[in-house]
Amino acid sequence: MLTASDIYHGYDGEPVFENVSLSVTPGEVVAIIGPSGVGKSTLLRLLALFDAPDRGAVEYDGTDVWTVSERRRLELRRRIGMVFQEASLFDASVRRNAEYGLRVRESWTDRLRREFADLVGQRNGTGAEIEALETVGLREKVDQDAASLSGGEAQRVAFARALAYDPDVLLLDEPTSDLDPRNTALIEDAVLKARDREIGVAIATHDMHQAERVADRVAVLLENDIIEVGPTEGVFESPTDDRTRKFIDGELIY
Amino acid sequence: MLAGVGGSATIGLAGCLSSDEDAGDDDPEISGETLTLTTTTSTYDTGLLDELNAPFEDRYGVTVDTVFQGTGAALETGRSGDSDVVMVHARSLEDEFMEDGYGVNRRDLMFNDFVVVGTSDDPAGIGGGDDVEEAFVAIAEEGATFVSRGDESGTHTKELELWEAAGVDEFGEWYREAGQGMGEVITQVDQTGDYTLADRGTVLSMQSEIDLEIHVEGPIEGGTELLANPYGIVAVNPGVHDDVEYDLAMAYIGYLTGPEGQEIIEEYTVEDEQLFFPEAISEEPNFQQYVPEDWEPDD
Amino acid sequence: MPLDQATHLALLAEFPFEWNYIRSIVRVSLYVSLVAVTLSTLCSLPVALLIGFKQFRGKALVTSIINTGMGFPSVVVGLVVLFALSNEGPLGSFDLVFTPEAMIISQFVLATPVITGVSLAAVSSVEQNVRDAAYAMGGTRFDVALVTIKEARYGIATALLAGFGRAISEVGSVLIVGGNIAGADGESYTRTLTTAIQLEARQGRFETAMILGAILVVLVLLVNAIVVRLGSDDGGYR
Repeated sequence: MLTASDIYHGYDGEPVFENVSLSVTPGEVVAIIGPSGVGKSTLLRLLALFDAPDRGAVEYDGTDVWTVSERRRLELRRRIGMVFQEASLFDASVRRNAEYGLRVRESWTDRLRREFADLVGQRNGTGAEIEALETVGLREKVDQDAASLSGGEAQRVAFARALAYDPDVLLLDEPTSDLDPRNTALIEDAVLKARDREIGVAIATHDMHQAERVADRVAVLLENDIIEVGPTEGVFESPTDDRTRKFIDGELIY
Repeated sequence: MLAGVGGSATIGLAGCLSSDEDAGDDDPEISGETLTLTTTTSTYDTGLLDELNAPFEDRYGVTVDTVFQGTGAALETGRSGDSDVVMVHARSLEDEFMEDGYGVNRRDLMFNDFVVVGTSDDPAGIGGGDDVEEAFVAIAEEGATFVSRGDESGTHTKELELWEAAGVDEFGEWYREAGQGMGEVITQVDQTGDYTLADRGTVLSMQSEIDLEIHVEGPIEGGTELLANPYGIVAVNPGVHDDVEYDLAMAYIGYLTGPEGQEIIEEYTVEDEQLFFPEAISEEPNFQQYVPEDWEPDD
Repeated sequence: MPLDQATHLALLAEFPFEWNYIRSIVRVSLYVSLVAVTLSTLCSLPVALLIGFKQFRGKALVTSIINTGMGFPSVVVGLVVLFALSNEGPLGSFDLVFTPEAMIISQFVLATPVITGVSLAAVSSVEQNVRDAAYAMGGTRFDVALVTIKEARYGIATALLAGFGRAISEVGSVLIVGGNIAGADGESYTRTLTTAIQLEARQGRFETAMILGAILVVLVLLVNAIVVRLGSDDGGYR
């Protein structure tokens, strides 16, 4: 339902994509693989509606998001969640991090009321943030300082933060590159749970085994283009493009 | 709850508005106004103004904002219309103020005098003399440290006149311009020596803090008339600044130069000594006080 | 050297001020400086946020102007403000000369570069990743600004304290624009702790000046302590 079509985008005059298209569909995990620096993050940022592409369209359920009003675009943007390579948590408690997405969607009166309740020590959450923390297995750390978490725990909280407001789309930019196997497994587990809830997931990764574990489809981003996209098994076992095979086999040096 | 707050706010506002109207009906227009008086630091430092202003404020229901700056600043503030009445002790500068059209209705207010004070070791040997010009010459020849106000104040103006009268025109390192008020200068002399010209009022009010002696007396204690220090008060001309509190200024001048004000001035003492001598009231009025000293009728 | 009883009593006996006088001076000092710092913060934070995250031509120039402003002589600011507010100046019709409000204006001018400059440094150190995260979670630009302020809160608190310190400790501008006025009854109108200290020192009453100085220092320490305490309470309501 979130689609990038015919994207041409560049930085400082250098093209990053030339005619790239990708769609993220509910209930499906699509992995974007490619060498580092090829533009996986850029593509995800375009999908997350950070910036408009130089040419081409980003559409949500058929609506070109950059042709509508800012308010409408904000509404659409709020159906998307994103996790970055670094957890980038706020300097606050785990709870406040997890519920951030919920808070910004509230009216100002509700937000002020919530701030005041916090001040006087009354805690009443909607529960969605607690559920999200449960999905990543961190419910018991809800009142801890985010700064005291390990790298893996922080990333899991970042995942919960994006999940808490029940987005339609989840974009993950190499979420487990810096993590140990245990935390990686926890995140991947959460990804699959999200997919089972009919959330559309796009995950950028350089770990092809990860792609094999979680992805339904794989898109190969190479040389400014998506040179191949298809069901995971198909791409890995019988790629149609020669470069894909070379990349998978680790022969291409970048 | 909001309704309650709103309600009481409205009632409060209504109260304010109605009391303003009442004030207009019964009380004199002047009540509640503020008179801005600029004067010199030495005048303020004696504490006389607080004594004088309180009864005036009570009688008229007004506030007197006393801003004490240097003589120059006090007059300049009057020129820009930021004050309503000016009280200084520099006749030549007051005359200039009037001649330039900024001041009207000047009155002689009171006088005290200047003294030459210094440390007790008196290097120039001027102590006990009554000729201030001689004393100044002695200081210059001895090269004893003389601290000047250096700020174009009334005191400074008088000091320069005295140097000129004494015929001294060469000033070496012994002559220091402090560029500060009387209190600071006296403190400086107290700390580092040797002499300065000061108004008796400040000297008396600082007596308990410092260790200086009066070497040359002023007219109040029988010394030379050259050291007389008259104070004048001038209203800012409403013709130049139409938003000054002219009527209030005139009420103030009237009060100060009237029996009550003059009595307060006479009875004001510091360390049990009278500081100021009232001169506004006389059976033979001095008409020269109203105009610049060199003013001719056909000017 | 400890104060023995006799000296202590002597000091108090000589103390010419009534409690009312001191209280009114402290009130004026706090009123002027707190209002000035509050107004300055309201202006400085948006400016710091704007400058901090945009690259624009002349950014280096703006930053160096702010830094220069931090050390700008307070007397000069006082003179300029006096001229502006004077009867003959452009803002003369507001009749603000020799009022506490004029002092607020001049202290606003003094505190703003300090608060802006230190806030700018604090806010710039907030990582872009965190800002991106706030945006990605569905925050508006305003939400991102709020997050940035919260992330930089300790640096911003430092900025406010620095601004307050500069304001309440300066004597040059408030003396010139305020006029150091106290009523005949001892109630201060535009007399602050600093101008009162200067007055006492000028008249050679150094002990009194020192006492007022001690009060000023205690005041500054108190404000610092309160802000620090509030800062450490921040984790209290999780």
